This record gives sequence, structure tokens and C-alpha cells, in this order.
Amino acid sequence: MSAVALEPLLHKSYRQNPRFRPRSLKTKHFSLSCSSNKRLSNSSSTFCNFKTPIVHSAKATSTDTAFLETQENETSSDTFFKETFHLKRIQKVEGKISVRLRRGDDKEKWQLSVGCNLHGNWILHWGVNYIDDVGSEWDQPPLEMRPAGSVPIKDYAIETPLTKSSLDLEGEMLHEVKIDFNPDSEIAAINFVLKDEETGSWYQHRGRDFKVPFLDYLHHGSNVVGAKRGFGIWPGALGQLSNILIKTEVSSPKGQDGGSEISGSDMQSRRFEGFYEEYAIVKEVPVDNTLSISVNKCPETAKNNVYLETDIPEDVVVHWGVCKGTDKKWYIPPGPYPPETKAFKNKALRTQLQFKEDGLGSWGSFTLDEEFIGFLFVLKLSDNSWLNDKGSDFYVPLPSSGNLPASSPPQVSGEETDQRAYTDEIINEIRNLVSDISLEKSRKAKTKEAQESILQEIEKLAAEAYSIFRSSIPTFTEATVAELETQKPPAKFCSGTGTGFEILCQGFNWESHKSGRWYMELYEKAEELSSLGFTVVWLPPPTESVSPEGYMPKDLYNLNSRYGNIEELKALVKRFHEVGIIVLGDVVLNHRCAHYQNKNGVWNIFGGRLNWDDCAIVADDPHFQGRGNKSSGDNFHAAPNIDHSQDFVRKDIKEWLCWLREEIGYDGWRLDFVRGFWGGYVKDYLDASEPYFAVGEYWDSLGYTYGEMDHNQDAHRQRIIDWINAASGTAGAFDVTTKGILHSGHWRFPSGKEMQGYAYILTHPGTPSVFYDHIFSHYKSEILALISLRNRNKIHCRSTVKIAKAESDVYAAIIDEKVAVKIGPGHFEPPSGSQNWSFAIEGKDYKVWEAS
Amino acid sequence: MEVSVIGRSTSCSSSSANKIVRSKLGFCDLKPRILPAKNRLFFGWKRQRCSKAGIRLVLKTSIRSEAVNSETVRPCGAGSRSTSGVKLFVGFPLDAVSDGKTINNSRAIAAGIKALKMLGLEGVELPIWWGVVEKEAMGSYEWSSYRALVEMVAKVGLKLRVSLCFHASRQPQIPLPEWVMQIGETQPAIFFKDRSGQQYKDCISLAVDDLPVLNGKSPIQVYQQFCESFNSAFSDFMGSTIMDVSMSLGPNGELRYPSYPAKSSQSFSVGEFQCYDENMLAILKQYAEASGNPYWGLSGPHDTPNYDQSPMASNFFREHGGSWETPYGNFFLSWYSSQLVSHGDRLLSLASSVFSDTSVILSGKIPLMHSWYKTRSHPSELTAGIYNTINCNGYEAIAEMFARNSCKMIVPGLDLSDESQPQESLSSPELLLAQIKQACRKHGVEVCGQNTLVSGDPRGLEQIKKNLVNDNEGLNSFTFQRMGAEFFSPQYFPSFTKLVTSLDQPELGSDDLKGTESLRSMRRLNFGLQKS
Repeated sequence: MSAVALEPLLHKSYRQNPRFRPRSLKTKHFSLSCSSNKRLSNSSSTFCNFKTPIVHSAKATSTDTAFLETQENETSSDTFFKETFHLKRIQKVEGKISVRLRRGDDKEKWQLSVGCNLHGNWILHWGVNYIDDVGSEWDQPPLEMRPAGSVPIKDYAIETPLTKSSLDLEGEMLHEVKIDFNPDSEIAAINFVLKDEETGSWYQHRGRDFKVPFLDYLHHGSNVVGAKRGFGIWPGALGQLSNILIKTEVSSPKGQDGGSEISGSDMQSRRFEGFYEEYAIVKEVPVDNTLSISVNKCPETAKNNVYLETDIPEDVVVHWGVCKGTDKKWYIPPGPYPPETKAFKNKALRTQLQFKEDGLGSWGSFTLDEEFIGFLFVLKLSDNSWLNDKGSDFYVPLPSSGNLPASSPPQVSGEETDQRAYTDEIINEIRNLVSDISLEKSRKAKTKEAQESILQEIEKLAAEAYSIFRSSIPTFTEATVAELETQKPPAKFCSGTGTGFEILCQGFNWESHKSGRWYMELYEKAEELSSLGFTVVWLPPPTESVSPEGYMPKDLYNLNSRYGNIEELKALVKRFHEVGIIVLGDVVLNHRCAHYQNKNGVWNIFGGRLNWDDCAIVADDPHFQGRGNKSSGDNFHAAPNIDHSQDFVRKDIKEWLCWLREEIGYDGWRLDFVRGFWGGYVKDYLDASEPYFAVGEYWDSLGYTYGEMDHNQDAHRQRIIDWINAASGTAGAFDVTTKGILHSGHWRFPSGKEMQGYAYILTHPGTPSVFYDHIFSHYKSEILALISLRNRNKIHCRSTVKIAKAESDVYAAIIDEKVAVKIGPGHFEPPSGSQNWSFAIEGKDYKVWEAS
Repeated sequence: MEVSVIGRSTSCSSSSANKIVRSKLGFCDLKPRILPAKNRLFFGWKRQRCSKAGIRLVLKTSIRSEAVNSETVRPCGAGSRSTSGVKLFVGFPLDAVSDGKTINNSRAIAAGIKALKMLGLEGVELPIWWGVVEKEAMGSYEWSSYRALVEMVAKVGLKLRVSLCFHASRQPQIPLPEWVMQIGETQPAIFFKDRSGQQYKDCISLAVDDLPVLNGKSPIQVYQQFCESFNSAFSDFMGSTIMDVSMSLGPNGELRYPSYPAKSSQSFSVGEFQCYDENMLAILKQYAEASGNPYWGLSGPHDTPNYDQSPMASNFFREHGGSWETPYGNFFLSWYSSQLVSHGDRLLSLASSVFSDTSVILSGKIPLMHSWYKTRSHPSELTAGIYNTINCNGYEAIAEMFARNSCKMIVPGLDLSDESQPQESLSSPELLLAQIKQACRKHGVEVCGQNTLVSGDPRGLEQIKKNLVNDNEGLNSFTFQRMGAEFFSPQYFPSFTKLVTSLDQPELGSDDLKGTESLRSMRRLNFGLQKS
């Protein structure tokens, strides 16, 4: 085929006569735009048309012979192979969120406008704080503030869509919402987050709500992190955030400057001054591209030409090689190679594709000897991401030499094996690169992830070594050990993990504190919860707290909270014990809010019975100027993180837990934010307080691939298991992996799919936790049926699961060979083998069977 | 400023790598050495030996330069070294093998070394006990458990430093070989003896090094056979996994006399001279006669304090006018210390001949006798056999001896800071360390650091870090002592991890990610990976 013979000429003409290049490309552009939509069905004639201009450019180098030849070849060439691949990839689109406060057109009013210059279905999710409300909860804004199209969400927020409105200064399209408000109204702050309905992503400011405060004093004494006195959006530390999903950074310091200027002024009362700030955001949009490949054979030269063409607009590098057999092993073919080709570690070739003139993609042409039976490649994009063919290398079959008379290439066998070894390596290398890197957003994210997982692994191994070394400290002679072992009664359960058959009820919701007498309300339900089959109840955090929900504890020994007072709590615990339910206290050990400011005005001095100083605070959160050691886990930034490596802290916490056990009667713990500190400390606490049962909340970032959740969450599960191991098996952990998948980024099950979630967790191993609101809803009967099925079949926290089906529309599994469950609309019937399956429970998109 | 997405991953800002690029200069001191001869008596034989040693050094150097071609060899002695950071090791539990046939806590060790590998450590240190391997009869060696451990280490991909321990351990209890102890019962003179006649049975007295006291063989011959057996039993690992062999030079492996009883607190006791077994006394007598003062050779100094006394309680160590500053004192101390240096020389040159055909690097350990360092007489060092006073730099001779044998010097106590020492002990581990390093630098000896013990005291790790990061000149490697429950405990291990990951490492090329991934090799770990 023509291009084969042309290749070298092409190089020449490009190099020697660069002025010809535009011309040839221009023509290409023409033919491409003609066929861009139907490349799949391209006939070879279209293809040849495309070639023609190249020939012209070649002609310009006065190689007439070549020209004539190719003309001939062209007519006789056959397209041996032609295929178009659809490439799905993620493109990062950079944009900004802009926030502006200014006097409105109507001079009496002020206007807050929030805009975003990226395409999307943007919704502003917002609320306000009123002047007299010292808490941090949102309230709904007054009616007159709500722009048209606003929808109230519960009783505390508003969702207002952004409208495609004006063009901004640079003439870009802007999605914008404007909120007009009266400066005389009782509004202390406007809080918001931005949501993109298109992708379901939420955009926050430094992990928290955006907050536009109008009152200076709001910051004082609140749980606000990094709040500087002043006005405007909280300025945050400059720096890039390497979010797995979305990267953002400040694009314009000008807003910040404005903010800090103002913050220098004395702001004792409500003051309004306009400002404008921008925050860079990066949105990841899935993009479909195509890659078309065609292979032609030149009968004259007996060479094959592979032609690649893609509409990916950026730089594309093809890592390629050829194979000689069906094993798809990579070899480096002999040259010549297309322009911009380099060897990649002597194991593959990489060729930068040539841009098309129209900027709408690039192309490359590869000439190969006929001895090769296939062309293998993967694509690397400018952001270091890799594209392959559904997990394997792209493979393009070449017309085999058998079709044509061909002399078998003389090969030294030693060389061949050498090459084989090399190519094996390169294949693996490239595969690894592809499979590793395509999972990650970037190398950086990968590094971070890898570091994190290595740390986790190290922690796990160290914990294992610790427990073995510790247990082997020779305190007994062999004889006494043997004696002790015989005396030991068979263990029913180990401390902290219960029997394995627990079913847990989350005995409150995020709004339970509003009643002010939640303990008494729950008191009434105790008997019913017991009769439904629950064996464990998880009560809300009991301590005095800066936030009404209780997760910002202050004085740990003050158990008067928004849920009720200490006496009511004791009565409630007693009641649960009467009906046979054990009670978990929600203890927040990661952080604690301070009572007093230090001399720098930082809130880091504690009061109450545990009047710790700043040595009790980890040193690595600059907001709180702790003088303790560095944190052993992740930091929670809204409050001082407790340094559990301090002996006095651990001693005090152990005492407190023991006090809760004795004084209140708690049977165990639900530990909040346990990834904030090392599992080994948890073991310490559990050893000291000897809970019957303990669970830890180990929220972690779930792995995402291309903006969608990666459904293989083993890594995440492993981290939880690692944490449990570090705690030496004394605490269970919530299966938040499952929760993460089911919730898919929200803090509750997706609406309407709750029962699918319960069908999963109530039939699967783990300790199922049922949310209070769902128990007392129309799901009650279904949940009840599932609970009794679980109890009937004695499914426990370590039951075995055999996944029977996992497809896009159905998941099915068999648990302990006794229960079969199907979730999703797709079809599944339990296999009729040794067991007889009888239908048990059915609901919307789930079905459960029991073996009979 | 950060903008994050609710309910998805939380953010983790990567700290900018805080890199200190250090370049190391090799020390190659070619100037003729001026020994501090002031107030110091040199024996004729010693000078002779020194000049002989000069020739030997040249020879060794040429052998080494050959070996340096192999990638696995790390330059040692007077060579230069690369700019990479201090290599980190962790010691195996002392009793990883206690009876020759089983590995204790092998599962914990397996998990532990894997964790260490992932942390990016260079390797581990394995003590191999004479009393375990050659326990029952002379010449019958049982290497199998140690081999299994070495295989474990090789499999994980760590390097190994082996310490050949010709001494005994009290805690955990690992005695000398049974047959040696039996000989000791009939020939008590193979052990050190103090002034009161108390024997020290945790190592053989250096006075019998060359005497045929062990079934017709000298201890040196027995040690040599042990080393040869080791070399052949592990020949497949020498230079590939086993990179470094350390010779035990005395009590606790250190080049010293057992000057203080194991049970007394080290910081207060001055210790006593250990020259009262019959062989030591015979040698002393001989040299006293040779030096023209036969009366000086009848016994050790009579005016030293005993174990429980303050150094100033008797005349010998007194700050001013003490016997140590008299000609007699100089005579005795010179002899006492030279015996020790000669002993060290015998063992290290034995080792360098046994291991001359391998590329392993040899090392020996010296003690860090830091108590009373701030006095003029340095009594703790003197009783231990290091003639280091205000007038005389005792580490010169030792460093020179190490250099002569192309050995690295292991110095313990890098976790000790001056401020953590009791005031009244007039101790200064930091100044002593600086002095030792200076002597090593002068003689081109590389220093391998060690800590004394794993303790919950965070100052220990702080001090180690200080030594490794701020002040690591001349420091080749560091070995953390040692694995065990305490090491992996939640009180210690996280701090250890932090220390390790906070040490700088040369930056890797961006293409090197796919090798064995370990924290240290992955650029700078953003420490603790917290969000900030």
C-alpha cells in the first residue's frame, strides 16, 4: 500500500521542506472533516482519498519514481483491517467558582452572586445563620431572599439552580445565581455549597461549607477552623489539594488580598463591603473519543501499513510494538519508524502522533515488515493517563506473510530469545503502567494513594508483630502455661466483639437533638426495638458538645446534652437492659473542643474535669497550636485533635470510659472518626474499659475511577480490616465500605433503594446496623422480615459469602449456603443443586430465598 | 485554598518535599599521623607494629579497590561514599534463635521485617551467638535456624548485618557454649577477674587470646574456625544479602573490659579495672619488668574506688593530683588500654583474613562510656580500657586500629542526649560521640550508629534524629536496637515510622515508581499524610 513506500519520503519532505507541511495538513483536514462521523464505515476509497494529498507533498520533493509507484499501489491496495474503537476517558476542565458581594442595583439591597464558568447543572445549596443563633446549623433564609426557582430542603436549606446568564469579563459563559438581601435583616452569614447535578459532585470550601459572614463575632468561640477575623470568604492556606476526584487551587489571590485587607480593619459590628473572589475548580468530564485503525498491504514491498487516527485533541503518544505469534508478545520491529519515534527503555517504541491541521486530533502511520502478524499498542495522553482496549493492549492483526510469498527472515535464535525476554518485560511494564495509572487520576494521586496504602500495610504488619512479641514475653514457664490453658473456659466471645450475632439499631438521627428530650422518646420505643429483634442500640454522643448533634465534645464528664440530661440517660440505659438490649455509647475520642484560648487567642486549653493543656493536642494541625506529638492518623480539622500518644491523655480517657461503663451502664462503644488515630491506642482503651461490643467508624475515601465509584472496593475493605487488626480484634468496625457503595456519596441510602441496602446488610456477614428512621417507617415490616430471616438462619458477622452473580443490573450471593439473595432488577434464580431453595422475602428490586 | 467534594475523598495536601541535599566528602587522611605522645608511654613493640600496620593498610586498600568494582560493596575505610542518606537497619531480637533449631516468634519477625522493608529500611541486624551455634562441642556448628532467618531476610529483599557474638547475653539469657563453661570450671583463669576475685563469665578474657586454653586451641583459633564455618555456611549470601559482619570484641560485643558489673547502674558506677586474673597479671608483670619498673607490675592500682563508690572517693581518679596523672598511672593505663586495642586488632585482623575473599564489610563495636566524661580523668572510660583523659585521646589508637583493619566502627548510644543524663554523673554522651567521630574522621573510619535501647522516652528518638539529620557527618548507617514487643508497640512504632519517613532520601527519577514500593523510596513521604 502506498504509505509504505511513502513513509521515508514523508519524513523527508517534512524535514526539508517544512513549508509544505501546512498544505498537506490542510488537505487532510478537508478529507477528515468529511469522514469524521463515519470513520467506522469508511471505505477504503475514503481512505485513499485521504492519502492523496500526502502523495502530493511527497511529489514536491521531486521523487517522481516514488510518486508513480505509489499511485499505482494505491489503486491496487486492499484494506486488510479497519476498526474504530470508542475511547472513554476523563478530561479535566478547569474553571472557577466566583463569589461576589456588592451593593445591588436597588441601592437598599445587597447582592451575593455565586457563579461558575464550567458547563454543568449547577445548584446552589445554601442556608443562612441568623444573628441570635449562635450555633452552626443552617437556617432557611427569609422568603424574600430566595431567588426564583428555589426549592426548600428540609427546614434548613434552599436549593437554587444557577442559570446560564451573563457573559463574564472574558466573555465566557457563566452560570450564576444572585441572592438579594436586605442589609437590615437579621442575617449573620450565608453558607453554601455548590452542587453539580450532572455529575453529582459537591464543591466545598476547604472541606467545609463556603461561608460569607457579616458579623465579626461569629467566629469567636465557635468551632470554626481557620476563621480569621474579618469579612469575606475565609481565606485558606494556599496550596494544591490533591483530591482524588477533583483538584482545586486558588487561581486568583486578588480576592484573598481583598479579604485580608478588610480583615485588618476593626470589625466589631455588621459591616458590608463588597468583594470578589475566585476559586479554581477542576471538573472531570467523561469524554468519548474514537480511534480508528486501518491496515493496508502494499503488494509491491510486501509491507503492511497501519494507520491510526484519533480525534483526541491533545498530544497522544503511541507505545507500540509488533508480535510474531498469537501470544501477543511485544517485539521491536526494525526501522525505519515514523517521525517522533523513540525507544521506550529499549523495550517498546513510542511515537508521538502528528496533529491534524484542524486541531481535531492526530494521526500516525506505521510501516511494518510482513513477518509480523500483529501490531500492539497502547496510548498515552499528555496527562500521563493511558488508554487501552478494555484492559488489554490494542491489537491489530496484520496480513500474514502466508498470503504472499515471503522469505523467512534470517534470525539468530539467541537474539530472538533475548528479545523475547525483553519484550516480556516491557509488556509487563506497560501493562502495569496502564493498569496502575489508569486507575488513578494522576501520578501524584497514585503516589499519595500508594503511600497511604503502604502506611496502612506497615501499620498492620507492625500490629501483628507487636501482638505476637507481646504474647510471647516469657512470664510463665511452660508448665504454668499449660495449666492455665486447661483451666480456661471455652471462650464464648472475645472482649469487644460480642457474639457475632448482634443486630444494631442506630437509635437516633441527625435531627434527634431537636426534640430536646430524645432519651425519653427512645425510652418508649425500647421494648418494641427488642421485639423487632435488635440486640444492640447505639445512642447518640452523650457529652456536652459545641454542635448540637454531639460530635464536638467539650467537657467529657458533662453528660447533659441536647438529647437529655444524665439522669434521663441512665434511665434509658437501664430500660434497654431490662428489655435485653445492650447499649453502645457514641464516644468521640479523636478531637475535643477547648474551653479557653491560649495567649495567642487559639482555642486550645481545656476545662472541666479533664483540664488538659495544649500538650494534649497533636502538633501537626497548625490551627490549634498543639504541643503534643504528631497525629497517628488523619486529622479532623474542626476541633483540636487529641494526642493519644500522651500517657496522661490515655490515662484520662481510660478513666472516663470506665466511668461511663460504671456510672451510665454503657456496655460498649461506637467510636467516632477512628481513622484519626492509631488502632493500637483503641486496643488500649478497649482493654481498659472492657466493652462487650465496640464498633469503629472508619470512614475513608472510597476509590473512584473516572468519576464513578470503583466497585471493587477491596482496598478500602482491607484498610478497615487493617484497622481492626491493629486494634487486635477487640473492636469491630462498621462495614462502611458497603455503606459507601450503597450511599454512593450521600449519607443515607439513595432514596427508594433503602430496602435493597437492608436486603444486603441483613443477609450478609458483618454487624448490620439499621437506621432508626427506617425502623419506624413503611419499611418496618420488610426490615422485620429480614431481621427474623437473619436470626432464623443464624447469619453472623463472619458468615461466608459466595457471590453467584455480579452484573450491571443484578448482584446475587449465597450466604452460609443457607440464604440466597438477589439485589437489582436483573434476573437471578438460586441454583437448583443440592439445596432446595424456597422463596422467602421479596421487595422492590430484591429477593431472598432460604435453603430448605 | 481547597475546594473539596462532599462525600468523596477527603483531601490530602502533599507537603512540598523538604529535601536537604547533602553531599559527603570522603575522608582520606594521607598526612603522617602525629600521635599525642605527650605524657604517654609507648612500648617499643607497639611502634613497630604501627609501622607494620602501615604496610598492611596499603595492601588492604588495594584489595578493597578491587572489590569496589562490584556494585554490592559499599566503600569503607578511607574511601568516599555516595550522597545517599544514612542507611537504616533494625536489629533482630537477641533471642531470634536461642537453641539453634528454632526461630522464636518467626511469624512476628516475618511481619516485622516486611513492615521494615516497606518502610524503606536498608536492612536488619542479626546477632549470631557462639553459645547457640557451637553450643555443645567445639567445632560442631548448628547454622540451620540462622540460615532460615537469613533466607527470610533475603526473600524480603533486605540487607543483613551479622553480628558474631562471642560473648554471652544476660537478658535474654544466652550463655557461652556449654563446653566453654565446662572448661571455665577447671580453668577459671580463662575469665576476667576483678580486684575482689569476682569472675566475669560472659566472655573469655583477652589475656588468653593466644593461649591454647580451649582443648588445645587458643580462643583466637576457635573464633577463627567459627568465622570460617560461618563464611562457608553462608557463602551464597555473602555480599548479596549479608553485607556486613561485625565481630564481638568483648562484653556485650564491645571493645572494653567488663569494668562494671552488669547489675549496677551504669551511669553512676565508675567500674573497676579487670586485670586480676592470673594471665593478665602475668602480662602486666612482664611489661613492668620490660619497662624498668618491676614493682609496678605486681598488681593493679591500689587506690581505685570500688564499684559502688564515687570516683572521687579514692585517690586514683581524683581531679587534681590523682594517681592517673602520675607516671605510674600513665604506665598502667597505657598498658591496660593497649591490651584492649591489641585484642581488638587480633579479632578484626582475624576477621579480615577470613572474609578477605568476600565483599562483606567488617565492623566492630566500641562502648560509649559517657559517665564522668566531664571530669578530667574520665574514670569510666579508663576502667573500661580506653585511655581517654584530658591529656590523652584514647580514641585515636582505637580508630587507627579500625582503620588498619578496614573496619567500620559501631558506636552505640546515639539516642542519649546530655540533658537526659543525671547531672551528678557528669556525663556527656554527646561530647563523647563527637570526640569518637572526630577520631574516626581523622583515620577515615566510618561510623555506624546504634541506639542503646528502645524506650518510651521520646527524647531518645529525637536525639537519634538529631544525630542522623543535623549532625550525621561520618555516619554511615544506623541500627535501631531492636525488634520486639516494645519496638512494635503503639507507643514506639508510630514514632519510629515518623522518624524514618522524615529522614531525607535522594529523590528518585519519576520513572522509578514501579520498583518495590516503599515509603522511603517514594520521594518524601508527606509525613503522617495528614491534611493540613
